Amino acid sequence: MEKPCTLLVHFDKGTPAMANEIKEALEGSDVAAKVDAMKRAIMLLLNGETLPQLFITIVRYVLPSEDHTVQKLLLFYLEIIDKTDARGRVLPEMILICQNLLNNLQHANEYIRGVTLRFLCRISEPEILEPLIPSVLTNLEHRHPFIRRNALLAISSIYRLPNGEQLLPDAPELVEKALSSEQDASARRNAFLMLCNCSQDRAVAYLLSNADRVPEWPDLLQMAVVDLIRKVCRANRPDKGRHIKIIISLLNSPSTAVVYECAGALVSLSSAPTAVRAAANTYCQLLSSQSDNNVRLIILDRLNELRKSHREVMSEVVMDVLRALSSPNPDVRRKVLDIVLDLVSTKNVDEVVLFLKKEVVKTQAAGESDKDAGGEYRQMLVQAIHACTIKFPEVAGSVVHVLMDFLGDSNVASAIDVVIFVREIIETNPKLRVSMIQRLIDTFYQIRAARVCSCALWILGEYSLSLSEVEAAISTIKQCVGELPFYSATEDVEPTAESTKQPHAVNSSVTTSSRRPVVLADGTYATQSAASEAAGVAPSVLPGSLSSIPNLRSLILSGDFFLAAVVASTLTKLVLRLEEVQPAQAETNKACSAALLVMVSMLQFGQSGFAPHPIDDDSYDRIVLCVRLLCNTGDEVRKVWLESCRQSFAKMLAEKQFRETEELRAKAQISHAQPDDLIDFYHLKSRKGMSQLELEDEVHDDLKRATGEFTKDADDASRLNRILQLTGFSDPVYAEAYVTVHHYDIVLDVTIINRTKETLQNLCLELATMGDLKLVDRPQNYTLAPESSRQIKANIKVSSTETGVIFGNIVYETSNVMERNVVVLNDIHIDIMDYISPATCADVTFRNMWAEFEWENKVAISTVIQDEKEFLEHIIKSTNMKCLTPPSALEGDCGFLAANLYAKSVFGEDALVNISVEKQADGKLSGYIRIRSKTQGIALSLGDKITLKQKGGDH
Amino acid sequence: MVVLAASVLTKTGKVLVSRQFVDMPRIRIEGLLAAFPKLVGTGKQHTYVETENVRYVYQPIEALYIILVTNKQSNILEDLDTLRLLAKVVPEYAPSLDEEGICEMAFEIIFAFDECLSLGNKENLTVAQIRQYCEMESHEEKLHKLVLQSKMNEAKDVMKKKATEIEKSKIEKGKFQTSGYSSISGPRRSESGFNDINISSSGSGFGSGSGFGLNTESIDSFSSKSKDRPAASAKAPPKGLGMQLGKKTQKTNQFLESLKAEGEVIIEDVQPSAVQSKSVLPPTDPITVTIEEKLNIIVERNGGLRNFDLQGTLSLQILNQDDGFIQLQIENRDMPGLSFKTHPNINKDLFNSKQVLGLKDPNRPFPTGQNDVGLMKWRIQKMDESSLPLTVNCWPSVSGNDTYVNIEYEASDLFDLQNVVISVPLPALRDPPTVNQIDGEWRYDARNSSLEWSILLIDHSNRSGSMEFVVPPADASAFFPISIKFAASSTYSDVKVAGINSLKGGNVPKFSQRVQLITDSYQVV
Repeated sequence: MEKPCTLLVHFDKGTPAMANEIKEALEGSDVAAKVDAMKRAIMLLLNGETLPQLFITIVRYVLPSEDHTVQKLLLFYLEIIDKTDARGRVLPEMILICQNLLNNLQHANEYIRGVTLRFLCRISEPEILEPLIPSVLTNLEHRHPFIRRNALLAISSIYRLPNGEQLLPDAPELVEKALSSEQDASARRNAFLMLCNCSQDRAVAYLLSNADRVPEWPDLLQMAVVDLIRKVCRANRPDKGRHIKIIISLLNSPSTAVVYECAGALVSLSSAPTAVRAAANTYCQLLSSQSDNNVRLIILDRLNELRKSHREVMSEVVMDVLRALSSPNPDVRRKVLDIVLDLVSTKNVDEVVLFLKKEVVKTQAAGESDKDAGGEYRQMLVQAIHACTIKFPEVAGSVVHVLMDFLGDSNVASAIDVVIFVREIIETNPKLRVSMIQRLIDTFYQIRAARVCSCALWILGEYSLSLSEVEAAISTIKQCVGELPFYSATEDVEPTAESTKQPHAVNSSVTTSSRRPVVLADGTYATQSAASEAAGVAPSVLPGSLSSIPNLRSLILSGDFFLAAVVASTLTKLVLRLEEVQPAQAETNKACSAALLVMVSMLQFGQSGFAPHPIDDDSYDRIVLCVRLLCNTGDEVRKVWLESCRQSFAKMLAEKQFRETEELRAKAQISHAQPDDLIDFYHLKSRKGMSQLELEDEVHDDLKRATGEFTKDADDASRLNRILQLTGFSDPVYAEAYVTVHHYDIVLDVTIINRTKETLQNLCLELATMGDLKLVDRPQNYTLAPESSRQIKANIKVSSTETGVIFGNIVYETSNVMERNVVVLNDIHIDIMDYISPATCADVTFRNMWAEFEWENKVAISTVIQDEKEFLEHIIKSTNMKCLTPPSALEGDCGFLAANLYAKSVFGEDALVNISVEKQADGKLSGYIRIRSKTQGIALSLGDKITLKQKGGDH
Repeated sequence: MVVLAASVLTKTGKVLVSRQFVDMPRIRIEGLLAAFPKLVGTGKQHTYVETENVRYVYQPIEALYIILVTNKQSNILEDLDTLRLLAKVVPEYAPSLDEEGICEMAFEIIFAFDECLSLGNKENLTVAQIRQYCEMESHEEKLHKLVLQSKMNEAKDVMKKKATEIEKSKIEKGKFQTSGYSSISGPRRSESGFNDINISSSGSGFGSGSGFGLNTESIDSFSSKSKDRPAASAKAPPKGLGMQLGKKTQKTNQFLESLKAEGEVIIEDVQPSAVQSKSVLPPTDPITVTIEEKLNIIVERNGGLRNFDLQGTLSLQILNQDDGFIQLQIENRDMPGLSFKTHPNINKDLFNSKQVLGLKDPNRPFPTGQNDVGLMKWRIQKMDESSLPLTVNCWPSVSGNDTYVNIEYEASDLFDLQNVVISVPLPALRDPPTVNQIDGEWRYDARNSSLEWSILLIDHSNRSGSMEFVVPPADASAFFPISIKFAASSTYSDVKVAGINSLKGGNVPKFSQRVQLITDSYQVV
């Protein structure tokens, strides 16, 4: 492992500190100047300078200083300098500092002693430590706790060195003795930790002999106890019961940190339901008692882990978890709902839904004060209830009516959720249909949003079956459309006119600004009708001025002709149905003519010029079609309108359900074991004969991973693929590099071979970077014997996802020619693919991000691939992204295809790609690939990558 | 459970100060901190971020972030406490909460961080305590300085007094014209006064360190200590009584019952297993017999044996109680002057008649555990020079400006000797001696001023050997006493355990024996 780095300090390169300036200040007698110079020296060292000449100055002039700050800075200095030579032997001059350290260890000032002891923890050279050990041990008995604390730490880390047992053969005994008489909490903790790490048996013996006093111990020590028990019990000892007893007694500790730790330990010690239950209950208690969001979220994470492995136990505590919804934080709420939704079962679904319903009502009561947050929360709740009812349809009846109150919600998103929910329930739950239609007719006038309106209209048209329902629906719609015609010649003087003018002004501005392409749910790339978007905005913008006018009328007046078309088709449907159920032909005709009147007025309005903008062609055609149909009905058409619509909706629902079960099945598949996996027989394992390797400490691993010590070995085949040749075979110096990309850094292993018969001197590998890359170390000079080779390692730091280029040259001198020779290296391109990984996100979030992100890169498709699906596959494979568009939407052969791809970088950046391909008449594919991201880097590099790879075919 | 690093960053992501508490390479910590600003989202109401491997817990303060980097298993409650403390500490030291302010006081902030987290472990401290720790105001130090000052003043007074006395005596001596004697004695006394001051001012500080490198003596002391250790550690209280928690006990018992019912393996009142400590060679066989002979020899430099003393011990170590019912069959070479002494508990008659070691009471087992039990001792005292395992001859001879020292050894055929070290004391030298010829290896120990001649193994191939080195002229007696160390795997008495009989019948447990002959002290004077 590389040399560890213990501190970083920002170094401003603008003020270069000269080495001799520092030296002068250090030699002087002014303490303040000395402190300052020490600081600058340390900063320079941290910045990569070596300053070898400074050491002697420091030994001569800084070591004897009486000043405390100088002494502390000196310790930092000693901490960061190299104490060994290239071969790992301790430098002889280090003996000079030993005396100083020894003096400090016997200093009258207890803090100097303590700080020096702490410094010793970071020293790993036994040669330096050995003479100091007697003094360290005497400090163990000093009466000041500050010293004892640090002495214990020092002993612990010295003993843990590779040869520590020889340096301090009786350390465990000494520490054990110290522990038994120690009073200071922190010192006791340090002593106990030392025993845990170095002599576990002693620690266990101490713990067990004091088992009944553990609950009275200070919390620091209790933490160490829990840690020890977790470690010890991983070996599955026979006296596990005693340890579990201690844990249980600690569950009542006043310190929440200890309680939290105990719960975690309990889960790792035993998978028995009782233990898990106790842990889950503890977590729930913490969840309700802790108000900090961080804590809550992390506890929820823990609960979520428990949920995965112990479902049954967790479903018992669902209600406790739900109580955390009282937190105002949306992240907490979302996590709670996620956990709860997965745990809903027939046993608790009623309770859960009841609770959710109450929460929904509460948001209504909370009212206007926090509209935004409330709306978002309500949306989450609605979605949660929706999910529950999909799993357990029988509960739908109890909630759907409550939810329908929210159709008129000013938060469009939650209203849409509600209406989609209603649409699904009414199809899947026929028993509720009658009451729901009744309710919908009653609340229809409250609906303000255009999209909600159109969906509600569709429901009315589709599910109003009986005579009374149909009639009620028709009259409701008529009422909402209001007085006809929409305008009159004397428009200007009428009050309604002003209210139409007003939205006009608003809308036109909205229209121009919001006219931008969007991606639809199925991945098609469309220029959204600006009008409908604007209409969605309008009600919330001007609720006051429009409240007096019926909702449909105001929407249509504001220019939403798509809605007008929906009104027309709904009316057509209703009239057609009326013909079936109404015995009196006259009534039917009346209704028919009334409907025709509405449609015609809408058309007229659309073409009149009073509308904010003229009616679009699609809506016009649609309304005209409806008019024609009502005038001239046929059986065929009737069937299409009255039955096929419903069928295709049912099909869509079935498809959705199918996909969900399919995904579930796929997930279940993953968790199964592979045929050749090892089978772990727990009962055989628990006895004995466990090697330490099998008992791998996951906590330890976790730490190792965090410090980056833990790197998985990639398989050799892929290693070899990454070798890059940097110079030519006929160059005097041959170089090739093997590039390893870790998350935040790139390591270049460069092999350099001297191909000449001369010794190359001062050979230096100079690298430079382009893009968001930074070289970490300075290049060093080497001497290369004839025809010998050398490995050079270079670290490069990466700070964002972007294609980077590393270029450089090798510079060297030969003995006979005094000038420097240069060999230019091939560029090394760092691939963006190493940084992004496939990820998923919801359609809505994808579209939001699409709208929000500023950088777009548009790549025209040019490829030899003839099949659009094959092309999609090719792009997915070469960009390492995930296709969000469901496969069912890509089925069929229609000559065009649109799909959304998504990936996330290791730095948490999002990469969005939309592909729209069309097959031309000549069999070639054409279209565009659009990439959007928050940063320019991703958009550009991904674009380059696609341009490069899209050709396909030959490779 | 430890914090990996505590750092202060600007909102733009510039690292101002970072203190690592766990060893990690620079590139790693820089990478982690560089990734942080990208991971912090806006508009979130919580202040932690998790990545695949680490968790950042942070707190924004004005234009800065204070960050703790922890592993994901870390206890969030504790970390938040620590973070709160750091967030209080930073403004305490930084004059302004921005880049400049932090950079100015970077090192002071790191000092404070070190106090808040001792090697990554949380400390329960208040800001005031940290202040106090960092200011390092020590009452003791002041006291110490006062004492020092007063001593110095005292010494000065003494000096003045002496000076006047000298003046006086000088005048008097001048009168009597006998200045020669006293003019020396006067200053010398006042000098000794100074010496006193020097010693007290340095306290006991300049005690000589035991120095670099492991010399053989210290290794010896280590190994002997570690042998003693098991006896000491066995005293650890073997407490195994149930807990007295009143109501709680019942509850926990219920808890344990239900755990048991669910198939968790729990044996409640198990004695904590005997504390094991790492001995030099952990015994793996159930029974280990150690036979050891120690030599104490002093030889005259001109030949002749001044002292020969050999002490042998046989000790037994049994791991399991079940294997304790045994008897040992002993074998040895017949030697004059060899006499055995057995432990009081050993059946003497049995031993004298059949050479079998067994306990007086056959129903009692041998003691078991990690520690050796001595069963038998023997001594050999009267031996002649010819039976010494190794003899060393040293011939210093002066020739011109140099002293040539020739040393030779001769080993007896009886033993193969391992790790032979012959150390020859040298007169004080400036440079290492020149070694002209040597069988084996040499090393010059400047501290002890001795030359170590080491031979890894002496067997039939090198029963004799020699070396020659040159030093500046010195007296012949300077090269004595020579001390010799070695070990051998066979003994004088050739005591062996021929076999083990089990008293209870059944299988004879496996046993291993370790036989060695070592020198306690062997000197040529």
